[in-house]
Amino acid sequence: MALIEVKDLAKAFDGKTVLKGINLELSEGQSKVVMGTSGCGKSTLLRCLNLLLPPTSGRIIFKGEDITRPGVDIRKVRADIGFVFQHFALYRHLTVEENVTLGLRKLKKMKATEAVQKASHELERVGMIEHRGKYPAQLSGGQKQRAAIVRALAMDPAVLFLDEPTSALDPEMSREVVTVINKLFLENVTMLCVTHDPFLAKYISDSIIFLDEGVVVAEDIAERLFYNHADPRIKHFFMSVIDHR
Amino acid sequence: MDAFIQDLIAYWPQILAGLKNTVVLMVIMSVTGLMGGVGVFYLTLSSHKAVRRWMDGFISFFIGTPLIVHLFLMYYGLPELGIRLSAFTVAVIGFTLNVSAYNARYLATAYNGLDKTELEAARSQGFTRRETFRLIIMPQVMRMSVPSLTNQAIQNLKDTSVAFLIQYHDFFAQMQEVASTNFQFFKAYVTAGAVYLALISIIVLAARRLEKRIALPGLAT
Amino acid sequence: MTFGNILIILAEGAGYTVLVTLASISAGLAVGLSLAVLSTLRWKAVSLFLAVYTYVFRSIPVLVLLFILFFGLPGIGIRISPFVSMVATLGLVSGAYLAEVFRGAMAAVDGDEILAAEAAGLNRWEIFFYIIMPQMFRMSVPGMINEFTSVLKYTPFAYTVGIPEIMKEAMSLAALTLRGLEIYLAVGILYFLIYKLFVMFFMTLEKRFRVPGLASK
Repeated sequence: MALIEVKDLAKAFDGKTVLKGINLELSEGQSKVVMGTSGCGKSTLLRCLNLLLPPTSGRIIFKGEDITRPGVDIRKVRADIGFVFQHFALYRHLTVEENVTLGLRKLKKMKATEAVQKASHELERVGMIEHRGKYPAQLSGGQKQRAAIVRALAMDPAVLFLDEPTSALDPEMSREVVTVINKLFLENVTMLCVTHDPFLAKYISDSIIFLDEGVVVAEDIAERLFYNHADPRIKHFFMSVIDHR
Repeated sequence: MDAFIQDLIAYWPQILAGLKNTVVLMVIMSVTGLMGGVGVFYLTLSSHKAVRRWMDGFISFFIGTPLIVHLFLMYYGLPELGIRLSAFTVAVIGFTLNVSAYNARYLATAYNGLDKTELEAARSQGFTRRETFRLIIMPQVMRMSVPSLTNQAIQNLKDTSVAFLIQYHDFFAQMQEVASTNFQFFKAYVTAGAVYLALISIIVLAARRLEKRIALPGLAT
Repeated sequence: MTFGNILIILAEGAGYTVLVTLASISAGLAVGLSLAVLSTLRWKAVSLFLAVYTYVFRSIPVLVLLFILFFGLPGIGIRISPFVSMVATLGLVSGAYLAEVFRGAMAAVDGDEILAAEAAGLNRWEIFFYIIMPQMFRMSVPGMINEFTSVLKYTPFAYTVGIPEIMKEAMSLAALTLRGLEIYLAVGILYFLIYKLFVMFFMTLEKRFRVPGLASK
């Protein structure tokens, strides 16, 4: 059984339909990347899946439970889904360590010492331990994103959502973040990542979902999708993004 | 000058009592006004449109009308309904409403400068609205508002002098008393002004220290 | 006597309220602008004077200053009318605040523009009038509205020196009719109306002169 199963998910803003019946599945241990032109609805999709945005119609089955039904404790679901944002969204008034422990203490009700221990362990994994006492403003972009990844991972989520995790970074820092996510991929962390960065997509995915105008056009592995695809939309998209690099 | 100083000394206990009343009123309204301001600010973030409207109306009304009118309304108007409040009570209620409105506006301004993706991050982590308010919004908004909140505290001290118009025996009322016994109005009022200046200097110095203590990298106060 | 009657009687005092407010705002603008211009000179003595001025007039309560000017000054041989003492009080105080507003706005003017103007051969005054001031005023709108609101809200103090504005009228009426509750409620409503009109007026003015990119947050 899939960890996440999305059925006919649609989302409209002020009458404009952004998602037009999305179907996808994500199993435990799997990592998928969602790609597509800007404005294809990929960021909206991610936000609909943990109901940061309420879907207009369709069903989202998470761990066998339809979370779009009324009466579902959505906060529990959200706490079980790690979310990494394009612009890091670290809490500016908290140190790196406090950013990580806040959720552990307040949501998982861990003791302070226990939370710090857990945070140290996770920070160690991504090479951020020496920055634990710094505030977000004192970090580089790549460090911020690594801290944000740790904040999400420390909650031991069932799945990690990443929304354009490298697009606010310059190439060098981007590489540093790709390395970290690739490490998670090799550890079989369940991930769903939205990006338009083919480099990131290739190194962190089991398969790539291509979205265009609110529908899934194709799902395949990077090698088959990137070069000379039969569908002109896909071919054109990857020609442009890969040529740019 | 000598006669004036002698009068000051003669009236010293009264002046000191007045000074105490001034400081007490200022401290009380700064505290209640801060609590009220946080409460009103919290409600301006409500998910109910009606609540937000009412709070905006509250803020706008108390910022748009003179404090003295609220004081007179309660002190001279309410007795008609059989409600007789002491000058002190009227002052505390009137000032609290007024200061709350201002503080709420300062906090709301700071909130507008917040990075809203942090709030989205908090929601995605599973925090409730209230937890997000307490853990993410307040610590940042309060830091960013320190200068405005301090200015408000200074304003509060100055505004206590208005309470003398509803017969509250504050410092200014006592200086008034001194002046009317020896007709040295100029000296009495200038002395009063100098005392306010000195008290405000204390607040300013305290505020500077506070600002330094709570400053965080990347979070301008 | 209906509530409407009360409003109408009090509205007669509103003329004085508006007059005092406008005169005080003008005085405050004159003081604030002069101080702001002086501050650009960067002379030591001048900046010391400015620091002392703003500190003193932002620290003394308005009521205390008004009493010094109206009841105090005659003691040293200077006699000024109630109107002048009220306007002078609010002008001195709001001038101190407005000077800060203007200085803040001036600091926000792009230094490169001033450099460009110098390079173009404009002298100090031309730069101030053609480059700095037009931007400064636009960026100062929120601060000015705040200060003008304060001035309006201090005008009821004028009753203490005998100016027949709204508050004075209200007190006489209350003494006569013993209906303070309705009367002071009406005063509150009147002030709120005047406040709203003021804000609307300045907002229209701001919109009329708005330039894209020169936001007044």
